[in-house]
Amino acid sequence: MDNEDSITKLLRLKRYEQPSEEYFENFLAEFQARQRAEVIHRPLLHIAWDRVCSMFVMPPVPKLVMVSSFAAAVFAAVFVMNWADDDTPSNLTLASSGAVQRDSTARPANGKNGSAVQYVLPARPVSYASARSF
Amino acid sequence: MESLEPPDDELVRRTQAGDARAFDELVVRFSPRLYGLVYHMTSSHEDTNDLLQDIFSKAYRSIKGFQGKSSFYTWMHTIAVNMAINFLKKRNRRKTMSLDDVDNGILNDPDFIEATSNGDPSREANLSELQKKLNESMLKLSHDHRAVVTMFDIQGMPHAEISKVLKISEGTVRSRLFYAHRQLQNYLQEFINK
Repeated sequence: MDNEDSITKLLRLKRYEQPSEEYFENFLAEFQARQRAEVIHRPLLHIAWDRVCSMFVMPPVPKLVMVSSFAAAVFAAVFVMNWADDDTPSNLTLASSGAVQRDSTARPANGKNGSAVQYVLPARPVSYASARSF
Repeated sequence: MESLEPPDDELVRRTQAGDARAFDELVVRFSPRLYGLVYHMTSSHEDTNDLLQDIFSKAYRSIKGFQGKSSFYTWMHTIAVNMAINFLKKRNRRKTMSLDDVDNGILNDPDFIEATSNGDPSREANLSELQKKLNESMLKLSHDHRAVVTMFDIQGMPHAEISKVLKISEGTVRSRLFYAHRQLQNYLQEFINK
């Protein structure tokens, strides 16, 4: 136990290893200069991001809430985009059906070999065919 | 007479609200103590200076996330110890010692007089020898043991506070101290037996 106390006493002597008070006075100035330099040399994108974040300063929110809100926002965005896509084909169908009608009433033209050129679109688009089918 | 200095919590709140001067005051308040903590872990004044700047920068960037679950004192010490340990891991085994900055007050410290009383009549010589030996001994400890010894033996922090800073149990703190002291006893035998 005496040895334990001796060790503690010896180690406490290390408290005297410290810089002068002047060092700590200069330390703050050095810290402030460094902070300013960091701001100046920071990428514009980081500064803009910080400003955006500071505009929406709010009390600390648990990560789970943030993640679920983000997921909900992404889900909503995907849903809206899909809904908009669903609207578009119905117009296209009308337009294409009109085109098909016009084609069917058109006078058949003759090709170079004399065979009638067909304007009837295949029921299955070529792009749907398997790339491996020969 | 009451102290006019605002408590840490108030300075933290003001910093979180965007008052940079409040953080300056925290830097002034905590730099001597954190300097000691980092210096005794790195044994280098140069490294300590750089690391301390980084520690306060990190604290400033993270202070908005400080929720007050622990005291600001504990929070700052945790950042400092973690960054010092990470730094030591990167520094590998490069051993540096600064032997030129000792407060002259040590010459009048009874523990110093006791430790060097039977040696060389020149106390300055003994001081240099003792300091060198102490630093060498500290550098031989593992990072975790060095952190505990620094906080308990040199800075006088209680076991409970150290356990909060390191996020380990008090039992683990005591056990690390026990093994660290046993190692140090071997290294510092010549000064203990005087």
